[in-house]
Amino acid sequence: MKFHGYERPGGSVGVRNILLVMAVADCSEPVARMIAEGIGGAFAITQHYGCIPGQMVANTLIGVGENPNVAAVLLVGMGCEGMPAHALGKMIKRSGKPVEWISIQELGGTHNAVTKGKQILTEMSKEVLGLKRREFDVSKLIVGVKCGGSDTSSGLAGNPAVGAFVDILADAGGAAIMMEPVEAVGAEEPLATRALNEAVRKKIYKMIGDEEKRWSVPGAQMEFMCRGNVEGGLTTIEEKSLGAIHKSGTRPIAGVLENSDRLLEKVPDGGGFYLQDGTHMEPMAMSFMAAAGAQMVIFVTGCGGTFGHAIVPFIKVTGNPETYRRMSQDMDINAGTIITGEESIESVGQRIFDEVTKVASGKPTLGETLGYHNFSVYRRDPRLEALLKISK
Amino acid sequence: MKRALMMSAKDNVATALEHLDSKALIRVTLPSQEVLKELAPNQAVPFGHKIAIIGIKKGDQVIKYGEVIGNASQDIEPGDYVHVHNVKSNRMQMPDIWYREEE
Repeated sequence: MKFHGYERPGGSVGVRNILLVMAVADCSEPVARMIAEGIGGAFAITQHYGCIPGQMVANTLIGVGENPNVAAVLLVGMGCEGMPAHALGKMIKRSGKPVEWISIQELGGTHNAVTKGKQILTEMSKEVLGLKRREFDVSKLIVGVKCGGSDTSSGLAGNPAVGAFVDILADAGGAAIMMEPVEAVGAEEPLATRALNEAVRKKIYKMIGDEEKRWSVPGAQMEFMCRGNVEGGLTTIEEKSLGAIHKSGTRPIAGVLENSDRLLEKVPDGGGFYLQDGTHMEPMAMSFMAAAGAQMVIFVTGCGGTFGHAIVPFIKVTGNPETYRRMSQDMDINAGTIITGEESIESVGQRIFDEVTKVASGKPTLGETLGYHNFSVYRRDPRLEALLKISK
Repeated sequence: MKRALMMSAKDNVATALEHLDSKALIRVTLPSQEVLKELAPNQAVPFGHKIAIIGIKKGDQVIKYGEVIGNASQDIEPGDYVHVHNVKSNRMQMPDIWYREEE
């Protein structure tokens, strides 16, 4: 199977051709937005943990800049950040794509920064927006799978259909990654039995065990399931997890990608199925998956969801026939046909695969058509990691 | 007849594929469509929620997908609605959240 994508330096393939304006902290976000406004293919992102956000956020922004969907990057900094634009920019530039950076303080304030930024971005756009799609094998695809706003239809229909898709993609030589560290609590055994080797098996238990520690600190009132989960019929984290892992398919688990202050591990070449450490919260998880190299995400929802991601287009799948009926303007794939008995899990998995090759070749998802470009990042607090004695 | 789905033959609960009315006989099937039994819910069970297929004693395991999803926090009768009121996680308990609406 083939798709049409954009070749990047180093041999990776993008499914979108984004001109990214990256404000390294939220203080420079307004200027970044002004720069991107009115320039085709450009939009601005930032992160909201301040200008000394720690290495995990830096790793994510660098990885996002390196993502093959991004054609070129302009970083915007105030100038006095702990995590400066030039430092991130130099790291992203190693990917070989056009990368520039500006400092608002150095340029003398808003007007000068916006003028200079627009100049740079216009030059960049001349360079990259003329790039043409070429044919590539689906083995060049890395697809993230994620669920959110789950109800029990996710475990019965949406996630099994995505699992069938993951098997088709992995068998075709592509790669799939799943990030559900909390939503694997109670589902360790079925995952561990699929580990490629003993080292992977140990990493699976450690990743899930560490996340369980973070979300069950004695004395801290932390929710790890949403109200919609419980109203949708999910009783315990074990039930939610056992449903969530259905979207991982049945092939061997080739590895657990580290995601810590130390390292944000990329998806290796060669395809197969991987788990990635991170968070269960959707837009943030998608930023992590983008940073690891995913070009697309499949998002399974029972309750429904109306959002998108700035870097990775995502295909929304619902296993709940009523949700599809009510929100068909937002749901790309109806897997509710499994619940109603009209279609098999395998048949929906094949439909998802077909849709993935179309979206990879440029077909906009419903979320993209609606103009959704969410971007947020997640960080673990190094102080909590230290207090909980979680080591890498 | 309305339907509930058991994900594995080892399960002691099934998931309602439609809203199940109290006392109205339903059909319980496996994913293969094989019909396992018919029974009448003791209470209404909303779409996507669970019904006990056999009795589960307080403290016994509740099984779905062939795996343990928690333990019964009270005796459960065949046909009972099974949810947070009679099942507890063995791993992580949800707190009383601060933004829950007043009942």
